[in-house]
Amino acid sequence: MLTFVGLGLYDERSITVEGRDALRGADRVFAEFYTSKLLGATVADLEAHHGVEIEVRDRAGVEQRPDPILDAAETEDVVFLTAGDTMISTTHADLRLRAIERGVDARVIHGVTAESAASGLTGLQNYRFGKAVTLPFPYAHGADGVPKSVTESVEANRERGLHTLVYLDIKAERDEYMTADAAASTLATDWNDALGVVVARAGSPDPVVAADRLSALAERDFGDPLHLLVIPGDLHHIEADALRELAGAPPELLEPI
Amino acid sequence: MGRRKKIVQECERLMDKPENIRNIAIAAHIDHGKTTLTDNLLAGAGMISKDLAGKQLAMDTEEDEQERGITIDAANVSMTHEWEGTNHLINLIDTPGHVDFGGDVTRAMRAVDGALVVVDAVEGTMPQTETVVRQALREGVKPALFINKVDRLINELQEGPQEMQERLQSVIADVNELIRGMAEEKYENEGWKVSVQDGTVAFGSALYNWAVSLPSMQETGIDFGDIIEYNRNDNVEELKERSPLSDVVLDMVAEHFPNPLDAQPERIPTIWRGDDQSDIARQMREVDPEGEVVFMVTDISMDPHAGEIATGRLFSGTLERGQDLYVSGTAGTNRIQSVGIFMGGEREEVEHVPAGNIASVTGLRDAIAGSTVSSVEMTPFESIEHISEPVITKSVEAKSMDDLPKLIETLQQVSKEDPTIKVEINEDTGEHLISGQGELHLEVITQRIERKRGIPVTTGEPIVVYRESPTRASDTVEGVSPNRHNKFYITAEPLPQGVVDAIKLGDASMDMPELERREALQEAGMDKETSQNVEHIFGTNVLIDDTKGIQHLNETMELVIEGLEEALDDGPLAREPVQGALIRLHDAKLHEDTIHRGPAQVIPAVREAVHRSLIDAQVRLLEPIQNVRIDVPSEHMGAASGEIQGRRGQVDDMYQEGDLMVVEGVAPVEEMIGFASDIRSATEGRASWNTENAGFRVMADNLQREKIMEIRERKGMKLELPASIDYI
Repeated sequence: MLTFVGLGLYDERSITVEGRDALRGADRVFAEFYTSKLLGATVADLEAHHGVEIEVRDRAGVEQRPDPILDAAETEDVVFLTAGDTMISTTHADLRLRAIERGVDARVIHGVTAESAASGLTGLQNYRFGKAVTLPFPYAHGADGVPKSVTESVEANRERGLHTLVYLDIKAERDEYMTADAAASTLATDWNDALGVVVARAGSPDPVVAADRLSALAERDFGDPLHLLVIPGDLHHIEADALRELAGAPPELLEPI
Repeated sequence: MGRRKKIVQECERLMDKPENIRNIAIAAHIDHGKTTLTDNLLAGAGMISKDLAGKQLAMDTEEDEQERGITIDAANVSMTHEWEGTNHLINLIDTPGHVDFGGDVTRAMRAVDGALVVVDAVEGTMPQTETVVRQALREGVKPALFINKVDRLINELQEGPQEMQERLQSVIADVNELIRGMAEEKYENEGWKVSVQDGTVAFGSALYNWAVSLPSMQETGIDFGDIIEYNRNDNVEELKERSPLSDVVLDMVAEHFPNPLDAQPERIPTIWRGDDQSDIARQMREVDPEGEVVFMVTDISMDPHAGEIATGRLFSGTLERGQDLYVSGTAGTNRIQSVGIFMGGEREEVEHVPAGNIASVTGLRDAIAGSTVSSVEMTPFESIEHISEPVITKSVEAKSMDDLPKLIETLQQVSKEDPTIKVEINEDTGEHLISGQGELHLEVITQRIERKRGIPVTTGEPIVVYRESPTRASDTVEGVSPNRHNKFYITAEPLPQGVVDAIKLGDASMDMPELERREALQEAGMDKETSQNVEHIFGTNVLIDDTKGIQHLNETMELVIEGLEEALDDGPLAREPVQGALIRLHDAKLHEDTIHRGPAQVIPAVREAVHRSLIDAQVRLLEPIQNVRIDVPSEHMGAASGEIQGRRGQVDDMYQEGDLMVVEGVAPVEEMIGFASDIRSATEGRASWNTENAGFRVMADNLQREKIMEIRERKGMKLELPASIDYI
């Protein structure tokens, strides 16, 4: 049995109770932290808290050499951990399909993900989001500036009045996390005066939510990672109120529909 | 110094009078005294101290040349000489006497109008004299003869006047035989036959600094009897005073070699293939100082103060500081930083150099030996096809780690000075690899690094460079990214030879405007639709994007190209470079988010797909081959052709040229290692030979697997080929 368990947003206690039970009952536990990472807990913290041993796999160890995971899952109860939710903004559906190909049962225990925090903390309604994008580090997509697909997706969402959730690139192996101010500065070249909403350290005891012009956000410092950024589309009046109350948005930027 | 300055001023004055200029080269076999002759001519012209001449070897500026006593790079000097009451400017290009440096010789001969053939009176004409003289005659350069070391006939061989004259006559006859064989028309009708009566032959001793010719004998009254007398009585000093070498030889040069005004109308059609009706052709024929600048670079050298110096012949226009000039084979222009002429090993800066002269300039950072530099874009003298790809590689390591930075700098310089040398770093071992045209070529370069810069180095065994190339069209191959969310559909097929040639010649490249490139590719044999979809050209490989309207492919193409280049740099058989492959991208399936179609996904997927498509296209190993030309007396012809045939080579042609048989053939570079000593012993040293790299050829099927395994072992690769490689 292969159980995919999402660890949630922040530390060793962000996991669901169901996930915790699966984790503590597993024969072997694998994890990957190249798609995301818990900022409030180390692997050792997780191991100590849950009383398990965790085998961390790098990208090649999941994508190119998944056999140790799948082999173990054929005979034992195996848990595969990621931060957030294992199936959101990852490609692990592939691992699940490989398991099924080999006749291994696979199930998913959800975790809280940045996507729900983006709605939850900002007050922007999840119904009103368009396509999400990731803003990559320039070196990671082989060209300068913002990839055209990112620009096009944000533009298309804005045309339809929808919000865009912008994931910020994580290069865990290099310990590099794109900050919201850096992202705002990059995006400000295309949408200088547009409204942006920063969410920093979602799921932690002290999350920061801030709404302002992208050019203004680019000048601020939002502290430790992880960050994400939302570029709102048209605002429902409750959304506008929420951004003013929860994110300190300048009133002149809020024009409810 | 005051005297030197005066000479420079005199040179500057004479530069503007083409009728008083002679551009010449000296052609000789090794050790026949070319360098000593040059030095004493320079001393006679007051360019270097008379005491030092003969010992200084002013033209052999490289230390290894001075130590080896042979001349490797063509170096340049200018001097003045008064003849019949008029001062003349003589620009002299030194040429290597060794055939392995043949490219230098050809270039030098294109830059001059007269060749002073130097022959040792005792040894007579040697195979390499003949090779160099033939090269001069092929380029339309007029010969005159200086028979050197005549003192040895008297002092060592104790010959009398009769014997001496017979011996000299036979040398003259040999040289004339050669000239008649190569340039019969000019020999019969235009006075190219060298003769004592015409004054186109001089005799003497470069070492003891005297010479005679018929005109000089008439003037001074010195005859052969006198010469013998002076030598036997140990009174060469007086002979030197009465009949100095430089006067006699430079008189001959001034009288019998054409000035640029006479020479250029004849020579331009021989050495330049452009439109002879064009303005630029007319300006070159007329040596027009007001015309467009046309400057043929024969040599690039590195000066510690001035930097990189390009030397060559200015056929038209006037060179001045600040000019922006085109350099053949490169885009954009370079700006001239300074203009000068050479004096011995030193360069003198001058205000300007007009048409008809040998000039040396700085600032042409894109120029290499062989470049045509001009004020308008034009047909170059030499196309880049002559700059062959390197075929042999050797590792070079500094013995002491402290020397590493110096070694790196020196290697960079070396590759600029000699465009046929390539330098790279082996990423795995950190060794520096230098690649060049042949065994001796690399040997000379490494010795130069040791001596010129004082860096002790160790070098590895020479290794032949191979290639991999597809031999048929493949089926479509699917490449999947590690996360399996991205797929690429790719085929490989051989690129038509015409297209390969067009890319090599620079007739089709990604630097060109798209429409022009399309036309060039179609002309070279690519079909219209394919030519419209060219996405990338890498080496002689082309990537075609046959996909239609795939979202996000544009921003992924950079990564596709990166994967492609990795795959082609290290081919599937033995990680040798792939050439002549047409790779088509037919379809691609991409993940929605940039992050899941990043480098870690796309590069391995494409690399894998390109390799598998090449294997399905039955990629095979290619080895470099050389054209071999051997000039040999007929009695050794069998042995000479046997040396080619015994090396997996084939003899294509045998014919008579002058008094020699010429054997022409092809052989693999690998087998040619050690050829120099084998051919010498097979022909009793009577053969002169030349090789020129002739590209790559598919190795015979029965040798493929063995050679591939040998390379894989050397590179520490797995000694198993993928199972799909079942065709070799």
